[in-house]
Amino acid sequence: MNFATHMNELAPADAAAFRALAGHLRAAPEREPSAGLTDRIMAAVDAERARRSRFRAPAPWWGIAAAAGLIAAITLFELSGRSHSAQKPVPQDSGTAWLAESQEADGTWSPSKHGGSEAYRPALTALSALALDRASEGFAPQIQRACDALAALQGADGAFGGEGRARLYNHAITTFALATLCPHHPALKPTLDRALAFVSVRQTPQGGWDYEPGSEGNAAVTAWQVRALACAEAQGFDAAKIPLRKGLRWLRSVARDDGSIAYHRDSTACSDGLTALAAYTLITAGKDFPGLQELGRHAAEALSAAPEKSAVADCYRDYAKVLAFDSVGANAQAETVRKQMHVQQQAAQPDQWAKVGGRLYTTALTALAAR
Amino acid sequence: MTWHAQLTELDDATLMFRVRDGDRDAFAVLVKRHQKMLLNFFARSGVQYDCEDLVQQTFLRLYRYRERYVVTAKFTTFLFLLARQVWIDELRRRKRHERLVDGLAAEPPPEQVAPAVADATASGGMDLEQAVAALPEGLRDVVELGVYQDLPYAEVAEILGIPVGTVKSRMFNALAKLRAFLEEK
Repeated sequence: MNFATHMNELAPADAAAFRALAGHLRAAPEREPSAGLTDRIMAAVDAERARRSRFRAPAPWWGIAAAAGLIAAITLFELSGRSHSAQKPVPQDSGTAWLAESQEADGTWSPSKHGGSEAYRPALTALSALALDRASEGFAPQIQRACDALAALQGADGAFGGEGRARLYNHAITTFALATLCPHHPALKPTLDRALAFVSVRQTPQGGWDYEPGSEGNAAVTAWQVRALACAEAQGFDAAKIPLRKGLRWLRSVARDDGSIAYHRDSTACSDGLTALAAYTLITAGKDFPGLQELGRHAAEALSAAPEKSAVADCYRDYAKVLAFDSVGANAQAETVRKQMHVQQQAAQPDQWAKVGGRLYTTALTALAAR
Repeated sequence: MTWHAQLTELDDATLMFRVRDGDRDAFAVLVKRHQKMLLNFFARSGVQYDCEDLVQQTFLRLYRYRERYVVTAKFTTFLFLLARQVWIDELRRRKRHERLVDGLAAEPPPEQVAPAVADATASGGMDLEQAVAALPEGLRDVVELGVYQDLPYAEVAEILGIPVGTVKSRMFNALAKLRAFLEEK
């Protein structure tokens, strides 16, 4: 029996009304999954597989594996002293030179020319400027033009542009970049004051930030806002102090016992990228608050440097992992992820966030993650 | 490309067998095939903005339980069982969290009671889909599975753990409530 045959059993008047009702229900428009949902789910499945394989050792082979591991460990220990100095870091490639060449005349970078979305022009300009700043030297004119361009993008409310999701990411990443660059560009101070005012206005009463109405915050965008506030506070912007404290408290509330960081406070969803960025943020921005660095370290320990099996790269996740591993002194793991990023960039491997950031994003994040 | 095309032609049960054998691509095909159905299942349950999180949780649970899937159970039945359990766990977690966290006491309860529905009811502006979301859970489940998904009542009964006769009576009651709502409007 199904709905149709059930209706045949009812009085004709009821059946007709219910059939019409069912017709209305079925005709209602359905929600479409977002473009990246399949990839996110598969990334979560891959992470699950990686976690399980780390803890699983087939019993019959356990003794042999343990013996082999012991021999390998002794060998590596003996070699480590000699080989450490010879370990080759991943060289920083010509990505920054390409970024410098790609800057527009107005000082911004154009995402749409490189496969990204124009909605994120401020954030991608900010990341590109940071990448140039992190390179050895020689990009001072480009960085100055980027700072001027970002200041010019600021609206009356202090925000740097975009709508919805893009608005808050643009704002946090740009504020973070300007706070980082401010010591060498003191003219940015008024811009930063207004930017911090906007950060404070958009903070929820619970201490987080979100672009979805009714939410008290999501960890992804909150981590970026906290990074921006921490950087500004370190540069002497007192207006950052209270929102920073509240933001860190909210970030602490989404940490789970297994080390992962939940997207919403009540959510079960999490990802390695989110956990890594939050871990790094807690460790670096939470150094003056009891327990936050330990929490961040616990989160970083839950991460794996093992390559993801997905055919789609996730430069954002890998960048965050490098930050997290570096911040806890896990240099070998950080280097492993750096190498993956370098290989992916050389191979122009499709990236999960390509439609958002295009080549600007992968190049800038790979440069920012470089040793 | 050819290999992927072949996979998409396989039925759910065959894909699940491949997943059990470690075939990641087979699982990706299942995700693509059923994610929209699950997304709308959660959306119609009154979830506002965590629907995709819950879809992800359901597929993760499916992956963990892949070896428990037996071909005697229709795949969608198995999937809805998992989705419903994910939703129940989520509601429990939120209720527990509400009790434990002082700071949440002053906040409106999150999505579980579909705040938009309550507001809309008060203002008389509720539409049919919101009315479905506002039904008691037991009634809403049979509408979701029996009407939207058009599952045989035997499967609905299996998913909900109730007799087929109860599915019929709940369906009648649910539709009668919705009909009354339309007539009042």
